[in-house]
Amino acid sequence: MNGGRKSFGAKKGARGAAGSQSKDGQRRPMFRRRKVCKFCSDKIDDINYKDTKLLLPFVPERAKILPRRISGTCALHQRKLRVALMRARQLALIPYTAE
Amino acid sequence: MTRKYELVYVVSPEASDDQVADLHNQVEAIVQRIGGAIERTDNWGRRRLAYEIGRHKEGTYVLEVINGTGELMKEIDRRIKVTDLIIRHLVVRVDETEAVIARTKAARTKTSQRRRVARGLPADRLPGEGQRGDADDDRDDRFDMGNERGMDR
Repeated sequence: MNGGRKSFGAKKGARGAAGSQSKDGQRRPMFRRRKVCKFCSDKIDDINYKDTKLLLPFVPERAKILPRRISGTCALHQRKLRVALMRARQLALIPYTAE
Repeated sequence: MTRKYELVYVVSPEASDDQVADLHNQVEAIVQRIGGAIERTDNWGRRRLAYEIGRHKEGTYVLEVINGTGELMKEIDRRIKVTDLIIRHLVVRVDETEAVIARTKAARTKTSQRRRVARGLPADRLPGEGQRGDADDDRDDRFDMGNERGMDR
């Protein structure tokens, strides 16, 4: 029954797929929203260090860079994002750490 | 070999507006002496720093877009390093990344135009057609995602 979902699950690795089978062997589809890269879907070409409004969602409370596995950003854009964040950090636009 | 650079410097909060203007004039003088041009200057005004830089919590940000050679930027960098009033600065070369961005944008509009023509539509999107853009953000009054988060922590 969950054949359709499974193909999506493969993209997120083993953890997403494991949830689809319950204890008594009954198959229950596990719905997890498929993550997409924000920069690809919004067609943002320029990941600029000056644009804090764009960058801030990618630095959660501890001010660490949000990993790809959480944000769903594609590899290309994560690399560009990392450079932009590091530049913004140098200029104290974005914190290195939070306390 | 003239290239395009962006220089951002953070001036100490104790500096007066005249001193900030004076720093800009100093940069301009170096640019003119060595050969180059300032394309754009942008004063972002006083902003709160994300972290303290030597007991300062605020700073005045100034952005200069400079066309010039690497030697020119080296000299500006050296001068800024010895200026006590500037607490932080960053020089980034931007001409190559800008070219890449322009290229991807052009490629994207070209493909979309080709596809639209193939579907029998006019090449450019008509007003009011398709998805709503970012400009319509203002209509969303419930989730104001301004920059309260992070910056003012």
